[in-house]
Amino acid sequence: MTRLFENYDAGADRFFDEVISKEAAPRAHYDKMMRRFAQLSVEDVRARKHLVNLFFRNQGITFTVYGVEEGIERIFPFDLIPRIIPAPEWDMIERGLIQRITALNEFLSDIYHDQKILKDKVVPADLVLGSKHFRREFVGVRPPLGVYIHVTGSDLIRNTDGRYLVLEDNLRTPSGVSYMLQNRQAMKRAFPVLFERYKVRPVDGYPQQLLRTLQEISPTQKNDPKVVVLTPGIYNSAYFEHSFLAQQMGIQLTEGRDLVVNNNKVYTRTTRGLQRVDVIYRRVDDDFLDPLVFRPDSKLGVAGLVNAYRKGNVALANAIGTGVADDKVIYSFVPEIIKYYLGEDPILNNVETWLASNPKHLKYILQNLDKLVVKAANESGGYGMLVGPHATQEEREKFAELIVANPRNYIAQPTISLSRHPSFMGDAEIAPCHIDLRPYVLYGKSPSIVPGGLTRVALKRGSLVVNSSQGGGSKDTWVIDI
Amino acid sequence: MLSRVAESLFWMSRYFERAENTARFLDVNFNLMLDLNSITSVDHPNYWSPLIMVMSDHGDFRAHYDEYNANNVTDYLVFNRQNSSSIISSIGMARENARSIIESISSEMWEQINNLYHYLQSVTPQQVHNDPYSFYKEIKNASHLFQGITDNTFSRSEGWDFVQIGKYLERADNSARLIDVKYQMLMPKRGQHLDLVKNSVDIIQWMAVLKSCSALEAFRKVYLSKIDPDNILRFLILDRAFPRSITFSICAAQEALWRISGSTTHRYVNNVDRLIGKMDAELSYTTVDDIHMRGVHGFLEEIQDGVIKVGEQLHLLYFAYHTPKIEPLDATEGLAFTGVAGGRANWSQSQQQQQQQ
Repeated sequence: MTRLFENYDAGADRFFDEVISKEAAPRAHYDKMMRRFAQLSVEDVRARKHLVNLFFRNQGITFTVYGVEEGIERIFPFDLIPRIIPAPEWDMIERGLIQRITALNEFLSDIYHDQKILKDKVVPADLVLGSKHFRREFVGVRPPLGVYIHVTGSDLIRNTDGRYLVLEDNLRTPSGVSYMLQNRQAMKRAFPVLFERYKVRPVDGYPQQLLRTLQEISPTQKNDPKVVVLTPGIYNSAYFEHSFLAQQMGIQLTEGRDLVVNNNKVYTRTTRGLQRVDVIYRRVDDDFLDPLVFRPDSKLGVAGLVNAYRKGNVALANAIGTGVADDKVIYSFVPEIIKYYLGEDPILNNVETWLASNPKHLKYILQNLDKLVVKAANESGGYGMLVGPHATQEEREKFAELIVANPRNYIAQPTISLSRHPSFMGDAEIAPCHIDLRPYVLYGKSPSIVPGGLTRVALKRGSLVVNSSQGGGSKDTWVIDI
Repeated sequence: MLSRVAESLFWMSRYFERAENTARFLDVNFNLMLDLNSITSVDHPNYWSPLIMVMSDHGDFRAHYDEYNANNVTDYLVFNRQNSSSIISSIGMARENARSIIESISSEMWEQINNLYHYLQSVTPQQVHNDPYSFYKEIKNASHLFQGITDNTFSRSEGWDFVQIGKYLERADNSARLIDVKYQMLMPKRGQHLDLVKNSVDIIQWMAVLKSCSALEAFRKVYLSKIDPDNILRFLILDRAFPRSITFSICAAQEALWRISGSTTHRYVNNVDRLIGKMDAELSYTTVDDIHMRGVHGFLEEIQDGVIKVGEQLHLLYFAYHTPKIEPLDATEGLAFTGVAGGRANWSQSQQQQQQQ
C-alpha cells in the first residue's frame, strides 16, 4: 500500500504550497488533516470520492457546459482534501474585501450621480463612460439604501510569497455559492471525524443572510416583503444554484414569463391571479432583463421591469449597471478608487495589470505575449482569454490582431504562479494543483462575509485555469479558529 | 403558486404515470407470451401491434420499424427517444419538468426521479431482453416509490393536488385505451351474447388485461373466478374502490380539483370542475348494460375525449401564461373563476398589458 503523500512533490521552491512549507513540513493548521490522510490508502479516498459523487449526482448538483452538444449536464468535480484558512489570515481577507466592496459601491454611486471621481481625473472618464456595462439610463437613479452590489464574489489568488491578491471582482451575478454550501455537506459526510477535530466556522447561515439582505433592500414598507429569484431557466449553467438558493431561502424561483408588470408594479402570475413582488434577486444579465429597454429579442426578461425599478416599486439585486465596476479595465484603478473614497491604502492588492488602451502598455503587451495572460475586459468564466506561455505561436498572433483592433477591450497580466494545494488528481494520486478563492460578500444595510468561500482547483495537470467550464473543480474551504 | 410551477407539477406526475403504464402493458405482454408460447410464436405481430395502438400510433411506429415483434415494439416503447411516449422519453420529460421546479418539490422527490432517470440511461436493450420482468418491475416500483415519497414528503396543498390531477387523468386515459383495444381484440363478433368466455386463450388474455392494471387479485375478491368480460368492464371502468379503475381515477381527480377551487357537489365554480363533475356523475350512474347500449368503443372514446377537454380547461384556468381566455364551452353554463377574490380581474389586467405591446 502506497502512502498517500509519499510521492507528493510540493515544488516549494517554485510555488507557494498551501500545505507544505518551504521547510518541507506541513503547516501547523494542516497538521491534523495530514495525520488523518496518512491513515488512508488511495482506495479509501477513491471510495469516499465515489460516495460523494453519487450524492452530488442524485441531488442533481450539476452545471451545464455551453458549446458541447452531448452530455450537457456535468457534476462539478469535488476534491476531497479541504483547504484550510486560519482565523488571522481570514480576518485580513475579510477586512480587505469589505474595504474593497465598500469603495466599489461608493464608486458606482458616484459615477451614476455626480461623477466626482471622473471630474477629479482619478479614473479616465472615457474608460468609464465608454464601458460596455455603463448604463446611461440609470444616471440619477438611486437604488434602495444607495447600495448597488448586494452580492459579490471577488476572486483571490496567492502569489509565490503566499500574498493574497485580487484577480477580479464579480459584481454582476457571481455564481458558485451553492457549491460552497454543498461541498460543506459532502465533506461532513465523507470525513465527519476530521471535521469534528477542527473548529470550522459554519457557512450554513448564508441563505438566511442572503434573504435578510434582500429583505433589507425592499422599497416597500412591509413586514414581510415578497422576494423572488429570477433565473434565465433550466438551460442556464448555474440553474441548479438558482433553484437551490430559492429553496434554501424558501422563496419562489421565477422565470421571466412568471412575472408581469402592470402600472409600473411587478407581479407573479399564479394559479390564484397576480401577486405583488417587492425584491428580485436576479441571475439574469442586464442585457436580458427587459426587452423594452435592453435587448429587444430577449425572451428571458420582463417587459416594463426597468421602469418599475426606476419608479422605485421594485428592488433588483444586484442593481442595474454594476458591470462597469468589474470591467477588467476599471479593475486596474481599484487601488486608486479605494484611496479616493476611503482615504485608506488597499488591504488586498491587485495583480499588476497593463491596459492595451494605453499606448505604452500596448507595446509592452505585444512584445511579451508569450509571458502574459491576456483577457477581454468583459468576458467571464474563462472565455475569451489567452494564457501566453501555454498558447501556440499561431494563437498568440491571432490574439495580437484582436488586441490591436480593439485595445479598449483588452488587458494583460503577468502569468501568476497561483498557489498550489494537494488534490486527488485523476482518481489515482495526490498531486499539487493550482487554486484560487472566491468568498461571497453580502451588502444590505452593511457588508458582511460568510467565513469561507469557494476554493476552485485546476484539476488538469499543470493547468492554471480553475473555471468550471474549463475543467476546474472545487474544494471545501475551512476557516478555523486556532 | 406560480402557474408555471403548477403546470410542471401536473406534467411531471402525468409523464411518470405514463411511464408506469407503458411498463405495465409491456410486462404483461411478455408474461402473456410465455403462457401462449405453445400456441403461437412469441413474436407474432397480433400480440404486439395492439400495444402500439394503445400507446402510440402505427404510422410513427412504421416510420421506424418494419415489423411488429417483441424486440421492435420493446425498443420503440422503451428506448426510442423519437417516440414521445416511450418510457425513456416520459421519464426524461418528467425529470425536465421536475428540474424546472426543483425548489418547489421535496428533495426526496427529485432524487427519486433523478435516480430512475440515471438508471434508464444505464440500461441496455439486451438487459431488458434477457430479463424483462426485473426491468419492468423496477419502473413500476420506482413510480410507486415516487408517489409514496410525494405523499409523505410533499405538503398537502395546491401543489400536491396538481400532482394528483396529473396522475389520475393520465391513468383514466390509459385504462380507457387499454380496455378499448383489448375489448375489440377479444370480442370478435358483434351481437354475440356475452356469457362466459369459454376459450381458454381468451381467458388468459383477459387475465392479462387485469394483471396489467394490477387488478387480478382485487377482481377475484369481488367476482371470484368468473372471468367474464362484463365483470371485467364493470370492474375496470365502474368500480369505485379499486385505485386503477376509470371511475376511481376520475373521482380522485375531481376531489383534487375541488380542493383547489373550493367547489362542492352540485356547486361548481369553474368550467374544469363542471366537466370533471359531469364525467364523474355519468360514470357513477352508468351500468354495464348502459355501456353496451352506447357501444363499448364509443363509451371509452368519450372518456378519452373528456380527459382531453378537462386538460384543456385546466390549462386555460390555471396554467396559461398569457391572456387566458376563460371561455365557457356553453355560455349559459359557464361561471367566472371566483376561487379567490380578484383572481379573475387580475388575469384580465395582465391580458390588456400584454396586448399593448
